[in-house]
Amino acid sequence: MPANESVPMTTPPITSVPATGAAPRLLDPGFALTLRPMRYPAFYDMYRAAIRNTWTVEEVDFSGDVTDLRQRMSPAERHLIERLVAFFATGDSIVSNNLVLNLYTHINAPEARMYLSRQLYEEALHVQFYLTLLDTYLPDARARQDAFAAVENIPSVAHKAAFCFKWMDTVRELKSLDTQAQRRQFLLNVICFATCIEGLFFFAAFAYVYFLRARGLLHGLAGGTNWVFRDESCHMAFAFEVIATVRHEQPELFDDALEADVRAMLADAIACEAQFAADVLSGGVAGLSLAQMREYLHYVADQRLRQLGYAPQYGATNPFAFMDLQDVQELTNFFERRVSSYQVGVSGELAFDAAF
Amino acid sequence: MQLQDSHIVATQATAQTFSLTPPHAPAGMRITKRNGTHEAVDLGKIVRAVTRAAQGLHAIEPLQVALKTIGGLYDGASTRELDELSIRTAAALTAEEPEYGQLAARLLAQVIEKEVRGQDIQSCSQAITCGARQGLINTRLAEFSAANARKLDDAIDLAADARFEYFGLRTLYDRYLLRHPETRRVLETPQYFFMRIACALGGGDMAETLQLYRALADLDYLPSSPTLFNAGTTHEQMSSCYLLDSPEDSLDGIYARYGDVARLSKFAGGIGLGYSRVRAQGSLIRGTNGKSNGIVPWLKTLDASVAAVNQGGRRKGACCVYLEPWHADIEDFLDLRDNTGDEARRTHNLNLANWIPDVFMQRVEQDAAWSLFDPAQVPQLVDLWGEAFTRAYEEAEARGLARRTLPARALYTRMLKTLAETGNGWFTFKDRSNATCNQTAAAGNVVHLSNLCTEILEVNTEAETAVCNLASINLARHLGEDGFDFDKLARTVNLAVRQLDRVIDLNYYPIPGTQRSNARWRPVGLGVMGLQDVFFRLRLPFDGAAAQALSTRISEEIYFHALGASCDLAAQSGPHPAFADTRAARGELQFDHWPEARPQDGARWDALRARIREHGLRNSLLVAIAPTATIASIAGCYECIEPQVSNLFKRETLSGDFLVINRYLVDELKQLGQWTLAMRDAIKRAEGSIQAIGEIPEPLRQVYRTVWELPQKALIELAAARGAYVDQSQSLNLFMATPNLGQMSSMYMYAWKRGLKTTYYLRSRPATRIAQTTISSAAPSQAVACSLENPEHCDACQ
Repeated sequence: MPANESVPMTTPPITSVPATGAAPRLLDPGFALTLRPMRYPAFYDMYRAAIRNTWTVEEVDFSGDVTDLRQRMSPAERHLIERLVAFFATGDSIVSNNLVLNLYTHINAPEARMYLSRQLYEEALHVQFYLTLLDTYLPDARARQDAFAAVENIPSVAHKAAFCFKWMDTVRELKSLDTQAQRRQFLLNVICFATCIEGLFFFAAFAYVYFLRARGLLHGLAGGTNWVFRDESCHMAFAFEVIATVRHEQPELFDDALEADVRAMLADAIACEAQFAADVLSGGVAGLSLAQMREYLHYVADQRLRQLGYAPQYGATNPFAFMDLQDVQELTNFFERRVSSYQVGVSGELAFDAAF
Repeated sequence: MQLQDSHIVATQATAQTFSLTPPHAPAGMRITKRNGTHEAVDLGKIVRAVTRAAQGLHAIEPLQVALKTIGGLYDGASTRELDELSIRTAAALTAEEPEYGQLAARLLAQVIEKEVRGQDIQSCSQAITCGARQGLINTRLAEFSAANARKLDDAIDLAADARFEYFGLRTLYDRYLLRHPETRRVLETPQYFFMRIACALGGGDMAETLQLYRALADLDYLPSSPTLFNAGTTHEQMSSCYLLDSPEDSLDGIYARYGDVARLSKFAGGIGLGYSRVRAQGSLIRGTNGKSNGIVPWLKTLDASVAAVNQGGRRKGACCVYLEPWHADIEDFLDLRDNTGDEARRTHNLNLANWIPDVFMQRVEQDAAWSLFDPAQVPQLVDLWGEAFTRAYEEAEARGLARRTLPARALYTRMLKTLAETGNGWFTFKDRSNATCNQTAAAGNVVHLSNLCTEILEVNTEAETAVCNLASINLARHLGEDGFDFDKLARTVNLAVRQLDRVIDLNYYPIPGTQRSNARWRPVGLGVMGLQDVFFRLRLPFDGAAAQALSTRISEEIYFHALGASCDLAAQSGPHPAFADTRAARGELQFDHWPEARPQDGARWDALRARIREHGLRNSLLVAIAPTATIASIAGCYECIEPQVSNLFKRETLSGDFLVINRYLVDELKQLGQWTLAMRDAIKRAEGSIQAIGEIPEPLRQVYRTVWELPQKALIELAAARGAYVDQSQSLNLFMATPNLGQMSSMYMYAWKRGLKTTYYLRSRPATRIAQTTISSAAPSQAVACSLENPEHCDACQ
């Protein structure tokens, strides 16, 4: 696997000020250090918002999950879970690797790198969550080993991983983004992770989890995934903000060829995910058919195209009513579950005459 | 330009959602029937079944439900899966059209009916007999039912099922209806269930039983969950709340309490537990000449114990630990719910509350110092309140016993931070709770804590654990043609008080000390739910003067009739044994402690006081406003005294997640011809707020504000006005989208000054949000508009 090869450390020149007099741009090579005046306050705001949403794996209550798996779920549903967990087991690690190897290297603004550092921590947290989940679900050491090996052994998972590696490899050799062609190449990597990996693969995985949650199953998985989803939503928002910034600074990069590449890439990702869905749903799961999953993937892909400012391609509607559920506020009865909406960090000074 | 685009998108979306997509591969799809044979899926058959269930509903499209159901099927699915899927499909359409919620409820009712009939149970009395055979029903109930089978079976009102919303019926089905111990199939329909509860609580009197059944079937009021779970069963533990005094400061005392907590949790009780008597970290242990590690390690063990006992899988055990802020471990206590730090010092399953004396709030106001003590050195503080407490506290300071001194405001800040970051660490006020409590007239009777939900205030001791059983009146079901029906309210209160009083004698007491305490004081807690429904129906803005006047009047009527009913019971059976030790025995009623209270009809109250002097009261306490989390969902109304959280929100429970939409708003919008898909998307984009939707008339927007959009001061004012007629307390949640120290410190100081006895959660919203997946991303963001209009409550820009 390409990701396992050792990575030559590249050392671009460390500069805080661009060599020429022109205003520095986000993809200009270097390691800018200056935070004031801040060029991209939106990234810094995203960093701060992310910190307020800190959660830990210890807060997730897995106590009912094992009983659900054993007593309340059919073999077909257990198969669904096994495949899903196999994907989650390695998915976030792949994203982490791309963060370090590519995004952190080339997105040249210290406030953006602050966000990426935070994102890196969150990816590690997600890995820890799914590791804990896996250890809880699979008491047998051999079964655990197999789950992590899924990325190599199970074709539907391996296929998705190969898709990710392909788009990582295209930018692996880039030491710095000196030419337009290199920047375009890098941009495709960012778009791939935002729209196809976090924006499609993960969104599909979340759909399976929410499907189960809407039926009251696997609260531990659902609760933790809810938090993971919240984080991933921010990661995507960050990536789209990067793309929008680059588009503003260098509109010439966004030509017809790029659009064609993006569409082809998305089609490829949908094919990968549909193949995975065929495997996941092979046992027959009432309420979640393969045809609906395809429709959902097309619907999500259209959303991503719109977010990139492109015309939608598939004309699909969302077939999953249960996805409505995650769009709206929760109101949890604490006898039932833990409330997941508290913030970390409160600001302000003591006062006795503030309006409330 | 942007607006135009969004309009086009919305129109397209409308067209797409309502156009019918063909089901996938319908030809090859088969259903596995109960007898194992296969049959081709028949679209027409499903359409006919849905059409039958939709009789009387006008907005249902049976074909849409049938096609969506088939779209989710796989080849070889069972009929059971088909039934379940059609129910969920209908339920999922609720957010588009609330009638689908009723359709889903009816389809579910059919499934339940089939399940019960499939076990040869054709009537309520048969269901009870069957439950008794399985060892689930107690002899008292089985005999009563057998002797009165005909009358009971004749009284069952099958049509009453139509009152359920899907969410309520689902909750009943998943967790409340009795199930066969082995097959796990339900043995009773919802109406049999209500009749069983009525028989168990009717005191063996047929007229009373039928009256109770009628009230339950009409959802006029509901007893609390433990009563619904256990009435008439072989373990008749029907109380909601237990208030355990702090363990005494010894190893045996601490371990004995773990056992008490576990036994109470097992039978569905919620627990309040004091901890202020247990010595602080660094305190000398004479037996070993070592130093104590303080309360945290003991609470860590308690945390594990609470998690282990899960109330038979029906709901999780829950416990709230109370600590007074002079305890030297208070700061460690406030960290217990942090999600970072040493896990050995964290308790994720325990709730936390501060039991705050007035002198603390005064020192915060004066910006004075605050002293922390080790209870081993000042054991007297726990049993004192008011002036006596303040004197003892200051004397201990003067004697130099303080372990540490810090600015009172520093500790107050820390308490507020815990509340903001974890929602826990509730503010409850020790002195006010004692001064206004009917049970504290005689020296030595002290309220040491509140309960899990901060609405119960009762005296307890090391040997006597306070107990309370609860019920709540559904105010939404007390609206008549000309507004609120106070006559019906009076009847319901009378019925409910008699029922609650009977529970005291019937109840199974899991630990000794509870029965003793309950026999002496006989407290009950009658509350309300659906206040928000009343305001919606009468179009009253939550923070308006009219709303406050009505809410106060309702509370006064409940208190008046509850006292009257209890006095009647005393006339029949005598006052509760400790009556002589109550304030009521001295002629003091709750509103005498609230200087601003103006009871409506003085003569009526004077007459009642005279009757109480003559007969006494059967119950020392009568009114407590509980959160009603689950029973409000069964009844299909908003929780207790709370404003709505959102016009469109998700409810997560053990039975899965449900989308809930404000059906009053939908009705209003339908009348205005404004209930369209574009409107629904606009409400969803705004996370259930309608404040930025200009088409909706301003008066309506005022009425349909969410709790995030209401001034919290109004909630405190409503609570203070109502408080004059609540002899226990209220589970008062406060809400702040993004908590801010300045606002919080002002808010809780104000709550204390207004004489509130307790407050409950501080609710806030997440700092970042999940990407919305099901609405078009090309729609304009509402962030700009809302942040300008409402900067404090906008979290889009955080």
